[in-house]
Amino acid sequence: MKQSPQLDLVEARMRPGAISLHGFLGKDTRPLSQILEEDHNTVNELGVTHRLIADRMEFFTEQGQKGLGTTVEVEGHFEVRVEEVRGVLPCPWPHKGLYGKLNVYLRNLELDKELTWTGLQVHLIGAHGFYEGRGSPFRIEPQEACRILEL
Amino acid sequence: MMTELLVAVAVIAALSALLALLLLTADAVLLAYGECTLTINEEEEKVVEGGNSLLAGLMDEGIFVPSACGGRGSCGLCKVKVLEGGGPLLPTEMPHLTEEEREDHWRLSCQLKIRGDMALELPEEILSLQEYKTRVKRITELNYDTRMVRLEMVEPPELKFKAGQYIQLQTPAYGLTPEPVYRAYSMASPADRRDYIELIIRRVPGGICTTYVFELLEEGDEATVNGPYGDFVLSETDREIVFIAGGSGIAPIRSILFQMEREQNPRRATFFYGCNELRDLYLVEEMREFEQKVPNFEYVPVVARHEGEWDGETGLVTEAVDRRVEDCSDTEVYLCGSPGMIDASVKLLQGKGLTEERTFYDKFA
Repeated sequence: MKQSPQLDLVEARMRPGAISLHGFLGKDTRPLSQILEEDHNTVNELGVTHRLIADRMEFFTEQGQKGLGTTVEVEGHFEVRVEEVRGVLPCPWPHKGLYGKLNVYLRNLELDKELTWTGLQVHLIGAHGFYEGRGSPFRIEPQEACRILEL
Repeated sequence: MMTELLVAVAVIAALSALLALLLLTADAVLLAYGECTLTINEEEEKVVEGGNSLLAGLMDEGIFVPSACGGRGSCGLCKVKVLEGGGPLLPTEMPHLTEEEREDHWRLSCQLKIRGDMALELPEEILSLQEYKTRVKRITELNYDTRMVRLEMVEPPELKFKAGQYIQLQTPAYGLTPEPVYRAYSMASPADRRDYIELIIRRVPGGICTTYVFELLEEGDEATVNGPYGDFVLSETDREIVFIAGGSGIAPIRSILFQMEREQNPRRATFFYGCNELRDLYLVEEMREFEQKVPNFEYVPVVARHEGEWDGETGLVTEAVDRRVEDCSDTEVYLCGSPGMIDASVKLLQGKGLTEERTFYDKFA
């Protein structure tokens, strides 16, 4: 995938200090186009789609929000807790929409594995296929995510 | 052939270096805004160095605009009226401003850069806010992820605040942040003690401010705060009160309870405190003491899940409120916690007669 000038602008908004203090790219030195392409290939190889992964994350987010900050049991072997704070974040891509500042903590009890994501990430994955750069505090590895989410 | 190639590489390198030099020069010349004058309320002028955000520029001049996110453009609290200057609205400001606010010249001061002279209209209460140098007097572990920090006022030596208000605590530059950042914390201490404040701080994994407080801050250290902010204060009516909080949202309510104890306030008050597990509960003994000292006060801790012995309320805090509160048509409700908990509680109680003017909250924990 070729990095377009539009992606250059998006990448600039992902740098530390633009939207969030630490940004979305971590220590990843690859251009955004390459990050997107490599994760897209991984998701294809797994036989799923970004939308499918995001929908599953959204499902757990909604279940967790019902707990008002407490832990909620889902499907018998998942525990999910959502922590919300005041404020909203925009997407680095240029479109309307704001995403509540929330962290989702999902534990798959059968695997004894935990996956953490933010409210904005569900959108970033579903709409843009972006899982954040390597070394970013909220980087999600698609393969690990699919395993924990049981996709 | 090789010579031509080398010459081509050299030319490209020279052009790149020239371009970089031009960019650096442009950056230095075009982005140097020099001194800019901020005229405040048509009477006071502050000369500041251009280039900073308006929020930071005002802070440098000792004017502290409320902000819960520390100037990251996510909380939308730091709105100020810019009557002249400032330029067009930025995309990062748009989501936080209503149509009316845009027409009325409101701007998000953390996003707006000072690039020239500006005329501002600031409320008097903002102009009275101050920065305070403090010293960490005591750190008390309240449970596995929450601690209370007592800050002794150094300069000025007293902080005058109303029970329920909050300050901004400065986290200095350290490993997680190259620049100082600010976070909002409610005072948990009695408002009649002006020589110290107590803050209840819950650890947020990876959080810049809470990591600093839990990993680096020690008794005896200096700390800087500014404020006080907020209008989450007890009204002067005789209506029944329902307090609802979760997590560190107990802080402003504790301060209000000290006030009610001091005034021997006879209003009937019930405090619902929701948490996940028994180990999340803290200050239970103190709340039981308030039940003895405040004339008509009841404390109702609500635990969502428990494995040990517990004969108190269980489930979600909203479920306990639903069970115990029948009618809210003449009740005031004070909430402090996550936006989700507040929204769910307000929705529930509006169904029992609660109105907007009798609802008070700070949506941060």
